[in-house]
Amino acid sequence: MALTSEKSGKKRTVAGEDELFKNSGVAGKWLGEIEQRLGDTNPLIKHIQNNAAKEFARTGLPGRRDEDYKYTNIRQYLQEDFVARNGQENISVELIKPLLLNNSVNLVFINDKYVPGLSVTENLPEGIAAGDFYFNKDRVHDKAAQHFNKAAGESKNPMALLNTALAGNGFYIFVPKNFILDVPVHIIHIITGEVKSLYNPRNLVYLEENSQLTLIESYHTVGDCKQVFTNSLTELFVEDNAVLENYILQDEGAGSYHSDSRFLSIGRGGKSNCVTVSLNGIILRNDSNVLIHGEHAEAHLNGLFLLKGNDHTDNHTLVEHLAPNCSSKELYKGIIGDSATGVFNGKIYVHPEAQKTDAYQSNKNVLTGDKATIDTKPQLEIYADDVRCSHGTSTGKLNEEALFYLQSRGLNKQLAKKVLLQAFAKEVSNTIKNEAFRTFIEKKIQEKLI
Amino acid sequence: MLEIKDLKASVDGKQILKGVNLTVNKGEVHAIMGPNGSGKSTFASVIAGREDYSVDGGSLTFNGKDMLELSADERAKEGLFLAFQYPVEIPGVSTINFLKTAIAEIRQYRGFPPLEAKDFLKMMKEKQKLVEIEANLTGRAVNEGFSGGEKKRNEIFQMAMLEPSLAILDETDSGLDIDALRIVAGGVNKLRSGENAFILITHYQRLLEYITPDFVHVLYNGRIVKSGTRELALELERKGYDWIKEEFSEMPV
Repeated sequence: MALTSEKSGKKRTVAGEDELFKNSGVAGKWLGEIEQRLGDTNPLIKHIQNNAAKEFARTGLPGRRDEDYKYTNIRQYLQEDFVARNGQENISVELIKPLLLNNSVNLVFINDKYVPGLSVTENLPEGIAAGDFYFNKDRVHDKAAQHFNKAAGESKNPMALLNTALAGNGFYIFVPKNFILDVPVHIIHIITGEVKSLYNPRNLVYLEENSQLTLIESYHTVGDCKQVFTNSLTELFVEDNAVLENYILQDEGAGSYHSDSRFLSIGRGGKSNCVTVSLNGIILRNDSNVLIHGEHAEAHLNGLFLLKGNDHTDNHTLVEHLAPNCSSKELYKGIIGDSATGVFNGKIYVHPEAQKTDAYQSNKNVLTGDKATIDTKPQLEIYADDVRCSHGTSTGKLNEEALFYLQSRGLNKQLAKKVLLQAFAKEVSNTIKNEAFRTFIEKKIQEKLI
Repeated sequence: MLEIKDLKASVDGKQILKGVNLTVNKGEVHAIMGPNGSGKSTFASVIAGREDYSVDGGSLTFNGKDMLELSADERAKEGLFLAFQYPVEIPGVSTINFLKTAIAEIRQYRGFPPLEAKDFLKMMKEKQKLVEIEANLTGRAVNEGFSGGEKKRNEIFQMAMLEPSLAILDETDSGLDIDALRIVAGGVNKLRSGENAFILITHYQRLLEYITPDFVHVLYNGRIVKSGTRELALELERKGYDWIKEEFSEMPV
């Protein structure tokens, strides 16, 4: 199957409806800077984008005064002098090679730009669409357009609005009914670019009834990347009885600022397992939103953040139960060293109709640095009376008893610490079912723990 | 082998060991008995190099080396082993991998290459048989969800694998039923040789029915106040510890 991507080439002109935002502060400025928006070829999308731009012009960038951004002041990192861009850069095959996963479909994106030349798609079965939004216009684009912003549309989150307004491109995966895709699709997302650039990759994943997909996303920085802000948004639709495994690795350099929003919508009997591993990045903000709207569905959200230096990682999760007899399980673990900061804010919201909900949320942290901090806030909002919901959180240093135990058997203190931290991390990495990627991640974790 | 002279140690500013003297030679088994709170576990921890205890005086040499200069792991690499009174559960760390790492570290310290995988497995099988521990226990995470008896057996198994020249068993008999006690003692007896030595720390003389000690010492109020042979343990069993307390409570510190 051939994969193509379109280039718009020329700078887009701001006219008509867009004119309204041209002077509406930073939103208008950025709107004028990008060359290409998804809506440039589809009026329906364009309308949604413009509405989002309007909305964003009202909210502005989030800062400390916004409760949801109390610990992560986006304004400090994404300033008005950043320039909104679409991905353009070329990088060498040599840089990509070590990131490729065997026995997978590997799709390479540079910022929001799909690069067919670097991608490996020979394992992609017939009937599966995977590429960028503009790929295979005749059949696929319609489906993508129909669902554009359908999962994220209710959100008033400024970063989601900003992404919707400026979204240029991103990956698109469509798995038709009853199709079990046994080859994982691996998105290699390369972050690079000029100083003070803003990118807004926009992704959409659609699993029709009874289909299955393993989607792996890995974010890496290459080159001398400084102050590059990636504001990614992914909508994932898991229709009735479909199964999604979604693994995200954030292995970004100090020059990367990354806000990742994820909107997952799960239908009747659907299952999803989402695991986010954050290893590097001076500023990482993950917003994972799960909406369970069909009965007997199951959602797992797991996360591991391993922070050093001045790293800052903020995980926000929202799991909304709209249908009865569903379950959700969350496990987020942090290993926070040096002067790094971790944030966990998890909310479970059970609507009145969601009886027999079984929801559990857990956040456990180990502080290994004297100046390391964690702000953790589990929240339950329950409006149904026959549910089982609970949450737990614990934060501490490494168990001294266990450390001495290992030392008394001949492991030096540093090695003993490493063994304990690896075991701590393993509880999360074990939830990655794909063996090749789990091994890859565990190796990365091991390297980071040295 | 082990030479302890006037060893004093404290924890959180409270002096627990007030001048302990003990000499252990190759091939010997010493039992250290005493009432609760006399400093038995502190004594074991201080020898093993636990950091929360501060050594305030005296000396501790092992095969001529000053142990007080060495960290806990270095002491283990020198051939010292402590079987814990309360073995720690370590979720996520398998006993096999943990022992593989420990043995590799110890061998590297002594200038040996790591064991070949097949030799390691062979050794595992042999030692499992020796201490009568089920293979499924060693395949699991260290002590996680183990019963009290299983944890103690795992300590003896680790001891068998690490082949220390001096092993200290800190109340390994406590909380064991008679079958587990027999297995634990059997393991020690099989490992006992002219080249190694054991210190058994125990509250009751029950364990000593299975492992015959060469010497029995009574630790009381931070000092070894009485030493003897097996007869002393039997006397303690008959008379309890009260007479020791009466006889030595007035001793000047």
